[in-house]
Amino acid sequence: MTVTDYFLPRSLSEALDLLGARGPSLMVMAGGTVAMPLVNDGISLPTQVMGLRHAGLDELREEDGELYIGATVTLTRLLRQQALPVLSEAARNTASWSVRNMATVGGNLFTPPPGGDIAVALLALDTSVALTGPAGTRLIPLGAFYTGFMTNALQDGELLTGLRVPRVAGDTAFIKFGRKASNTPSVVTVAVRVARHDGTVTDARIALGAAGPHPLRASAAERVLAGSALGPEAIEAAAAVAAEESQPFSDGVASEWYRRKMIRLFVARALDRIWQGGEDR
Amino acid sequence: MASVIVNFELCGRDVEVLVQPMTTLQSVLRSQLGYTATKEGCRQGGCGSCTVLVDGEPMLSCLLPVEDVAGRRVVTLEGITPIDGLHPIQEAFLESNGFQCGYCTPGMVMVAKALLDHDPRPSREAIAGAISGNLCRCTGYQPIIDAIEKAADRLSGSGEQTGGR
Repeated sequence: MTVTDYFLPRSLSEALDLLGARGPSLMVMAGGTVAMPLVNDGISLPTQVMGLRHAGLDELREEDGELYIGATVTLTRLLRQQALPVLSEAARNTASWSVRNMATVGGNLFTPPPGGDIAVALLALDTSVALTGPAGTRLIPLGAFYTGFMTNALQDGELLTGLRVPRVAGDTAFIKFGRKASNTPSVVTVAVRVARHDGTVTDARIALGAAGPHPLRASAAERVLAGSALGPEAIEAAAAVAAEESQPFSDGVASEWYRRKMIRLFVARALDRIWQGGEDR
Repeated sequence: MASVIVNFELCGRDVEVLVQPMTTLQSVLRSQLGYTATKEGCRQGGCGSCTVLVDGEPMLSCLLPVEDVAGRRVVTLEGITPIDGLHPIQEAFLESNGFQCGYCTPGMVMVAKALLDHDPRPSREAIAGAISGNLCRCTGYQPIIDAIEKAADRLSGSGEQTGGR
């Protein structure tokens, strides 16, 4: 253990002051379920760490039809909220009970693939993230937060403080496919949202996890769905395009080849679930 | 590096420890306080053998800086074991052969305790879900699920012996 200072700020302003004073060498940690294993194993050797568990960023509230999720809301609380069932489903399919009691929604956005399942559901819901620095808070779409493998839009001195999930139209489906029934890394994770009018798709989101360097949207596949009549033909076409445009990788969980096959299969299944579910929920 | 003092409640007792910054709760429990029921397994959050209850919720003590539990209520296996006997969950594990080597048992029992506190009559599926973060390399899990079912029967007051499964 190389840590000489472990800070536990009691407020956002205290956290921002620490970050400003200590600079980028300050390791920021929330639930610790990703950072602590690296520290325990000596892979990460930080000297200064800031834990956010007590920084007051754990508000979870509905306002004006939006769901505001503070960055340090635990996955257990996300699972128990009832405003957005698709987020409960994503939380239920992430890690184990003990880990969910510690891991945070904000931290999950920093978890490299094949982790980061919560972000997949959040992408399908057009979530924005609040990035707060000394000059104030800016709100950017979650899709713009990711800039590459383990890189993001956070600037020096900024913290991810919360997420805003707007009220959006349509039906949603979430499927995580892993090698075990639960507590398992993702082969592929799919979240879809489809809004329809008279059987015609007016708006579609297809979000994928373990399908690229970060959770991402299959935009070309979304365009295939838009304006179509949701049915077997459109679903197959969109799934094929999603598999084609994704950038899966090989790791200990699955090969790139297999992941691509599974992306096609599970995008189709998720869309099928919405189609079979009928026009209205 | 400057040591820090941390106070928390451990198994109903106030404790104060002097630690290097960001020492894990697991290490404090075992090395400083002599509470060795909590095991050290993977130190990655992957095996569940270090599970303790923090304010009644199962958490992994290997991933928790002890500073994070300052002022909170920590319960380990020692805290639920009566001085002169066993907790009904432990008895059920014993009767159902819910362990062989025993390394996972403290974590399993703590998760079972939290589960039964939340849900006195869980389904086998709910039990399997609750222990999905606790690895056992001996039993194949079925005897553990049997044990938790049996403990649920007894603790929720039906008191009936369900017979061998």
